[in-house]
Amino acid sequence: MNVAILGCGGMGRLHAQMATNCGLRISYCADAVRKAAKGLADDFGAKAVVDPMKAIEAKDTDIVVITTPTPSHETFVSAAAAAGKHIFCEKPFGRSSEECKRAIRAAEKAGVTLFVGHVVRYFQEFELMRERIQKGSIGKTGWVKLFRGGIFPGAPGSWFRDYKQSGGVTFDCMIHDLDWVRYVFGEPERIFCQTIMRTEPTQLDYSQVTMRMKSGVIATIINTWAAPSGFKVKAEICGSKGMIQFDSTETPLGAEPRQTGSGPTMFVPMSPVAVSPYQLEWQDFIATIGSGHTPRVTPLDALRAVEMAEAALKSNSSKEPVKF
Amino acid sequence: MVKIGIMSFAHLHANSYAACLKALPGVSLSAIWDDNASRGKKMAKEFKTNFVKDMNEFLASDIEGVIITSENSKHRAMVEAAARAKKWILCEKPLAPTMKDAQSIVTTCRKAGVGLGTAFPCRFSTPLIEAKSMLNSGKFGAVYAITCTNHGQYPGGWFSDPALSGGGATMDHTVHVVDLLRWMLGKEFKSVYCELGNQLHNKSFPTDDLGSLHLEMEGGIQVSHLASWSRPKSFPTWGDVTLEFVCEGGLITVDAFNQKVTVFDDGNQQVRYDAWGDNPDMALVKNFVDAVQSRCDCASTGMDGFAATAVTEAAYRSAKTGRTIKI
Repeated sequence: MNVAILGCGGMGRLHAQMATNCGLRISYCADAVRKAAKGLADDFGAKAVVDPMKAIEAKDTDIVVITTPTPSHETFVSAAAAAGKHIFCEKPFGRSSEECKRAIRAAEKAGVTLFVGHVVRYFQEFELMRERIQKGSIGKTGWVKLFRGGIFPGAPGSWFRDYKQSGGVTFDCMIHDLDWVRYVFGEPERIFCQTIMRTEPTQLDYSQVTMRMKSGVIATIINTWAAPSGFKVKAEICGSKGMIQFDSTETPLGAEPRQTGSGPTMFVPMSPVAVSPYQLEWQDFIATIGSGHTPRVTPLDALRAVEMAEAALKSNSSKEPVKF
Repeated sequence: MVKIGIMSFAHLHANSYAACLKALPGVSLSAIWDDNASRGKKMAKEFKTNFVKDMNEFLASDIEGVIITSENSKHRAMVEAAARAKKWILCEKPLAPTMKDAQSIVTTCRKAGVGLGTAFPCRFSTPLIEAKSMLNSGKFGAVYAITCTNHGQYPGGWFSDPALSGGGATMDHTVHVVDLLRWMLGKEFKSVYCELGNQLHNKSFPTDDLGSLHLEMEGGIQVSHLASWSRPKSFPTWGDVTLEFVCEGGLITVDAFNQKVTVFDDGNQQVRYDAWGDNPDMALVKNFVDAVQSRCDCASTGMDGFAATAVTEAAYRSAKTGRTIKI
């Protein structure tokens, strides 16, 4: 099968590599910035195009990967579905739940496979925590605390820095945690959110959310795009018979080049695994195409995650909890 | 020699304060009174001091100051009795479970002309003092958001009896952090939203064992605080006090008790953190003794205790109503 990549930034490159690892061929790389399209296309032996419709409608495109800014997802999902192509869409599924619903209808109508990349469901550490929780290793879970984030992403002028497009850390980043909490602990009942969403003098976002699930589990999630450097993830799950902790800064591998006079060096923590979580989600996606297989994350799950992030931002505005 | 007495050993912090009084020069732990006589006698023996069975007799003695470490809901009656006897007072936190009681405590002491302190030892923690001076130096600029935790193990006993404690983990483990932030930033709390849970101990007691609080301080600073009795029995230490300040100029993170060595103890089948940092209780008790001698208030006053109780009371009201509560 042939894959067209729409949006040739960091995630476009990552998914091109994953698709290639799965034995697929990259046929087109599309980006409004020709240089970006060409850079990726050259590396993967694909054709570079500026017009995404050209890549979508090409005969030698079977799968469309959407790694463009969030507000454009629905348009591309609908176009790819209309062209009869299967779709891998990066999270967040859309900038609003209405967009997501329309995208789901378009894919259903066309009978194509639509997959949304909520990759945290495939992370080995999160899977191990889920498995231990469901096995009852810590009794009945009562409290979930998650932390994720680092430096504000994107260069100045990048769409990440336009809150209207990205939705800030709550919508773009915490959507991972909101989805995982719902995946493991079921439907939410209400959500409360405070997020700073600053633009001046330094652009910073820092979001604090508490969700009560219908099961009674309480989840507090902190996400940052306000750290001076790095990226980290922490989790703490408290139950009636114990507790599980995870800290991404504790890694099996790290490297720090010796300082040479050209300035300070930085310690780089690494946690390599033979099969990356991104590879696992691609395997799941491919297994879903043209089969009765239900992937670990469905478009409906991705829609619910967008609804939760929308509710969080609504709560931030009203300063009151939002009920589901 | 400054003579200090202790009223009640219901709160486990009494043992630490007693040890500090014994260790400080120029101070004596002159007497212990406890409404639980057998406990009082045992503690008097342990700390080699006198047990006085009758409270009036205890308060009529020549002690100059008292440390009150009873159950939360008994603070008011004991503070008021001590104030009538013109004793200087250091009261365990929370000052009282309700604003009404806290207000009465403050007013009574003011009218009696006695000094009153609320026991907030974190103000004397060296890492926290350093963090305050970093914040106040202006090098980090404006503070936008703060995430805090005060976790602990379930203390058992009266702590989870609402009639004696007034509330659970959120009552027990919110006031330290509230006082710290007021002290460090010089700003007051404006509102609170709170989710309470009673789900980490199979509902074996009626109070909450966890609280997720979202607060706003003056200037729009958003604060998330996690208060709990969530540390398992197998956890290597009692709990923590942590703060993360998100500032214009960077991050300041505090893990106030993270000065420890890890002990792998086969004899007790236990992995344990043993602390080596400064003991904030010692400086707290010293500050109280100084206040007694100089006839002034402690570093953290009754009004500081009242302000912290106001936040806790609002948090419980928020959990009850499901709404954000103005403080």
